[in-house]
Amino acid sequence: MFRAKRRTVVTVTAVVAVLLVGALTVTLLTQGKDSASGSTTSDGVVEYQAVQRPLAPNVTGTSLTGSTIKLSSYRGKTVVLNFWGSWCPPCRAEAPTLQVLNEQYSSKGVAFLGDDVGDTPTNALAFIHSASITYPSLNDNGYLVVADFSDAGVAVSDTPTTVVIDKTGHVVGMVLGGASYGQLTTLIKDAAVN
Amino acid sequence: MTVHTPQSQPESVAGEDEATESFGSTQEASPADRGTSGTGAPPEAGAGWLRWGWRQLTSMRTALILLFLLALGSIPGSILPQQGADPASVQQYYTSHPELAPWLNRLGLFNVFAAPWFAAIYLLLFASLVGCVVPRTFKLVGSARTPPPRAPRNLARLPHSSSYSSALSPAAAVDGAAAVLGGQRFRLRRSAGDAPDHWVSAEKGYLREVGNLLFHLSLLGVLLSIAAGGLFGYKADKLLVQGQTFADTASALDEIHPGRLVSDSDFAPFTLTLNNFTATYIESGASRGQPSDFDADVTYASSPGAKPGNYHIRINDPLSVDSLKVYLIGHGYAPEFKVTGANGQVTYDAATPFIPANTSTFMSDGVVKAAGATAGTDLGFMGVFVPTAISAGGTLESIFPAADAPAVSLIGYSGNLGEDSPVADQTVYQLDTSGMTELSGSPQLLTPGQTWKLPGGKGSITFVGVKQWASLAITYDPGQVPALICGILALAGLLLSFFVRRRRVFVRAVPAAAGTGSVVIVGGLTRSDASGGFEEEFTELAAEIAAAEPSDNGQTDQPKPGA
Repeated sequence: MFRAKRRTVVTVTAVVAVLLVGALTVTLLTQGKDSASGSTTSDGVVEYQAVQRPLAPNVTGTSLTGSTIKLSSYRGKTVVLNFWGSWCPPCRAEAPTLQVLNEQYSSKGVAFLGDDVGDTPTNALAFIHSASITYPSLNDNGYLVVADFSDAGVAVSDTPTTVVIDKTGHVVGMVLGGASYGQLTTLIKDAAVN
Repeated sequence: MTVHTPQSQPESVAGEDEATESFGSTQEASPADRGTSGTGAPPEAGAGWLRWGWRQLTSMRTALILLFLLALGSIPGSILPQQGADPASVQQYYTSHPELAPWLNRLGLFNVFAAPWFAAIYLLLFASLVGCVVPRTFKLVGSARTPPPRAPRNLARLPHSSSYSSALSPAAAVDGAAAVLGGQRFRLRRSAGDAPDHWVSAEKGYLREVGNLLFHLSLLGVLLSIAAGGLFGYKADKLLVQGQTFADTASALDEIHPGRLVSDSDFAPFTLTLNNFTATYIESGASRGQPSDFDADVTYASSPGAKPGNYHIRINDPLSVDSLKVYLIGHGYAPEFKVTGANGQVTYDAATPFIPANTSTFMSDGVVKAAGATAGTDLGFMGVFVPTAISAGGTLESIFPAADAPAVSLIGYSGNLGEDSPVADQTVYQLDTSGMTELSGSPQLLTPGQTWKLPGGKGSITFVGVKQWASLAITYDPGQVPALICGILALAGLLLSFFVRRRRVFVRAVPAAAGTGSVVIVGGLTRSDASGGFEEEFTELAAEIAAAEPSDNGQTDQPKPGA
């Protein structure tokens, strides 16, 4: 009887331990990269469900040319907010696409805005002139706007990242890394459908 | 082996067997002897093999071997440069040992703590400990609920015994002894009231097993804490130039080594500004040029809107913010340059971090990349910065690490930097000159304030001044405090199990030959008396039991310890 009891104990232990070790192994081997509440599709596009769109933070800052920019003053418009830096090759590469979209959509209630991170105004403006970018950019050397968005549950984890915000100030989705024309038009169209 | 039937068992020699035998069963579970029984030949059947394997894994011997292997496995981690801590040194190792390095890499020796074999040792040790602790808990609970064994027939045969004559009846004498033992918080078992003979068994020292268990559980806790640190912690680096601010976000950090379960939104949103960085060097003597102090003066806020605080980060004096630690791990110079293009427009104006190539003189390398207003007018510069410059036979040398007489030597290029391609995989520290042509044959030397007018009217570059940069390591290890607590508890458990003895005392009284009164025999038994002292305790206890007697003619035999 004693022996049978001992066997049960050993078996139970074995099962528990195997489960524990198994669980630990699985967690150690799987790279847990889940985006908070949005549904991530391929190519770094994060799109939030219509009811789960996080509210964009109330960002206030200074533009590269010294004027004040308030994100809240863009309410009523769809905002395409591009996090970039003149030091970042993929940012420079995608900028012409953003400028083309800016020209196409400016009359359709879509505003473009840049957030220049880890940069100096001189370097950034030199690029803006050479690439003929006409939309303004926030001077955000210290990534503070990025932190505001992180705080709001929107992890702008790469440079460049392009965030699309709808008319009510909610984040529709974002493209992490260099954005394509197609990815951005999809998000802009989704922003119009509330 | 005798089959025990406690209710109806007559007093026999088996009683004595029982007294020691129960110790034997706990003996099996004690750490020192764990696994001695599991070394036999494996049985034939499949399930038997499994059980044999399991018993091997959970044996003390295996646990010790695994613990030893874990320690052994950590040695290359401290001898060889590690990818996570110091990737530059790993590169250096590759250059100096081109044959050996790839093999070491294949064995995971440049990233020991993430190597599969290290994880295997770790997980096996974990399984071994779990497999030991869980049955042991059941056993402890069981033994805590089991009364002490019956008193053996012949107490004089026990390692410690003594006897005295009592005027009381055997039942009353045993009652008195039981009261003394009970007063000393022994667990008691009394003979049945109507039995012809009278005895009491007493046991003490259950804390030993509790300590044992605590030790094992804490060891498990240490392993779990380390795992938690690996899964939920992260380590990140950030280079910050004087005056620069940064917010702790995934994109602002230069390099991130996240735990397996860290997502990009998990970074604590603290902000930090490097107000000033001071490196102090020994000015004279044999150790001239050696650093004596580093001080990074920072302003920080635990979240973007929070009240800012000030701190001086020094070596071994990290800043604690938001359960993170911010360490100072490096420093260097960031010369400030202003580049003007051919059209007279300033295209570049920034303090540019240069990376020290020589850590004793701080001669440093860096590049300046100034994109032009139109295609093909980009300007690029490869520079060498010297904090205290002298010209030794025509070559530029640095003789002191402080920026006492700073100078830069620049080689200029014009053409296409190749920065506008999304796949350009050059860092800010590299210059791709494949699309560029060199401006002049010899490097241009500049001191602060000097401007180099580039040949061919391509523009100019001004060496404005020098700033310093500090490299910060931001670490988050949620397992650190639990690991420390578990470590302390493990030590406490170990001490408990060392110093507490599991011990048994038996008292048996028989009617005296003379007719009235009784002869009382006290016997004592302990298993491992590692710390010694049971002999004294038993002697005292026996004397106390005898003294509790309402003495009349009670002539007490001297206890005969160790009989």
